[in-house]
Amino acid sequence: MFSELRTFSIALKIARRDLLDLWRAKMLLFSFLLMPLLLMAMFGYMFPTTPKANLAVGNMPTAYPNLPVALVQVDQGSLANAVANQFVDIAQTQQLFRVSEMTSYQTARDCIVRGTISGIVVIPDGFTAAMRAGMQATVQVTVDETNPQIAAVVQAEVATIFGVISSNISTTTMRNMMGNDVKPTFLLQPISIAQVPLVSGTSTTFQFLAPGFMALTVVFGALSGVGFAISREREQGTMDGLLVSPITRRAVIFGKVLSQTVRGLIQAFLILGLSMLLFGVRIYGSPLLMLLTMLLGVASFVGVGIILTAFAPEQETAQMMVILLQFPMMFLSGIIFPVSSLPGWMQWIGKALPLYYAADALRKVVILNAGLNVIGMDLMILVAYALVTLTAAVPIFERAMTR
Amino acid sequence: MTYGPASLAIETATLTKRFNSFTAVDHVNLTVNKGEIYGFLGPNGAGKTTTIRMLCTLLTPSSGSAKVAGYDIVHQANEVRKKIGLVSEKLIMYPRLTASENLMFFGSLYEINQDSLRKRVDELLDMVQLTPFKDKPVGGYSSGMRQRLNVIRALLHDPEIVFMDEPTTALDPQSTRFVRDLIKELKEMGHTIVLTTHVMEEADELSDRISIIDHGKIIATDTPQELKSKYNADNLLEIFLTLTGRELRDSASDRIPMRRVMGRM
Repeated sequence: MFSELRTFSIALKIARRDLLDLWRAKMLLFSFLLMPLLLMAMFGYMFPTTPKANLAVGNMPTAYPNLPVALVQVDQGSLANAVANQFVDIAQTQQLFRVSEMTSYQTARDCIVRGTISGIVVIPDGFTAAMRAGMQATVQVTVDETNPQIAAVVQAEVATIFGVISSNISTTTMRNMMGNDVKPTFLLQPISIAQVPLVSGTSTTFQFLAPGFMALTVVFGALSGVGFAISREREQGTMDGLLVSPITRRAVIFGKVLSQTVRGLIQAFLILGLSMLLFGVRIYGSPLLMLLTMLLGVASFVGVGIILTAFAPEQETAQMMVILLQFPMMFLSGIIFPVSSLPGWMQWIGKALPLYYAADALRKVVILNAGLNVIGMDLMILVAYALVTLTAAVPIFERAMTR
Repeated sequence: MTYGPASLAIETATLTKRFNSFTAVDHVNLTVNKGEIYGFLGPNGAGKTTTIRMLCTLLTPSSGSAKVAGYDIVHQANEVRKKIGLVSEKLIMYPRLTASENLMFFGSLYEINQDSLRKRVDELLDMVQLTPFKDKPVGGYSSGMRQRLNVIRALLHDPEIVFMDEPTTALDPQSTRFVRDLIKELKEMGHTIVLTTHVMEEADELSDRISIIDHGKIIATDTPQELKSKYNADNLLEIFLTLTGRELRDSASDRIPMRRVMGRM
């Protein structure tokens, strides 16, 4: 009992020294604090949140406002004019598109090739005639296929605008034919769908990403940080100063794990803070459960970092080995893409990685206010990983240091 | 000076260390008497540092045994660690921390209460004339200042035995003189010193007894005077070259784990 207390007390001293070292290294500290900000800013704007449109109140929010598109009105008939005017009006009022009217499809196409516009809307010859004849008229859309993400947005938004215009035309036509008592909405779409979110106000993309990034930062911090810290101290010689003193090797490991965990948690909470501030992420669950999940996430994988360091001859190799492990983990653990979107065999790998369970549990706590009864299995898997990897890591580290 | 088991600070029996198929230390039997300065000499790669690291419990022997301060280096490693101090050829200091912070940190790893430790740190800093610089980060120290600090770090817990691995390498003459005088002072204070050095004149000046190791085996042990008369030489350098040869000791082994090599850089 006394020796365990002493191990813990020494581990605290080692952790305190490591953190003091970080505090003194101003450039390192700056990069350390800047990293979560960059991560959030990059992913936040790469996967922007698009709130749901509410056409009933004329609200069509977009993540990509004022995309440049060309309108080529070949048909100069009155109905074509009316539809073109409505298109420009809605596009500009809702700040969906910055519309340039062009005289020919070829001119507009050249602009797409040059990269000055993202799409072309053509009102072709015969548009007015078709409508007057009571037939369905067609509008042609061409998008810049070299940019699939923007192409999809242009297509979807053009469809939304023409959906509104079509709906207006149908309403007017029905009223003209059947009088003012008719209910066009019922005739056009007798059943509507209303989405009820699991927790009110959620469902932004970032709400999915932020907890994953928090888990990623803490787990990677511990995985690589402990490894680098140990191999750096071994190379600079200070590890000898620790190992030649009457302290247990476990105290050295726990001290390093502790300092790296504190560093990881600082970054994780920075990520959370920035996500809340910049991207409107809300926490619905218990902060204590979040902390527990992140600590178990660290414990689950830090042993692997220690084992890799024990086998790596020097810091650079340790670094490379850790990156080799981190890279697939980042993409397969459901941090950026849901695991269910991966091919079957990759899903198996993803689900074999502890980061998947840490991110899953953290996401459920943050977004769904899940309790221990829901995330219990995730946490138990993390504990199992921790027991296996740390049980193996401590003796391997002890042997490696005196081999 | 008395001799015999009770007066031995260090005693090894066929101490051996192999790295894969390479034998770095080969059945070494040595004794170091309490209170003496024991010079441990040898060419590069002869096995000096490996021996010292085993005696400091930083490496586990492949076979054989050793007792340091009466404790077995494998089975009573923690007891050994309480009794020894290591002045490595590398600076065992965190460059971003001040001298005081470094010494307080390393001292806190031993069971010394904070007040006694603070007092000890102040005394030692004063002894090596670093008190005016104690609150400056060690990274900004000159190599002489660093090495003086490196020496007192090993003395924080007042160890019985101090291992000094090339303590004057790359120091200017003033700092070299200072460290040598410090070593003499430590002997007067009752410490046992195990000194490795490539500077023969230093070994001659400081050592009570000297062992020369080559290819992992001890090839001579005696007082400097006895060695000189035995080999009919004026100085230790002649004896050293007679025993270990004059050819250059360039070697590159792929059998020693890289981390061991890194540990010496």
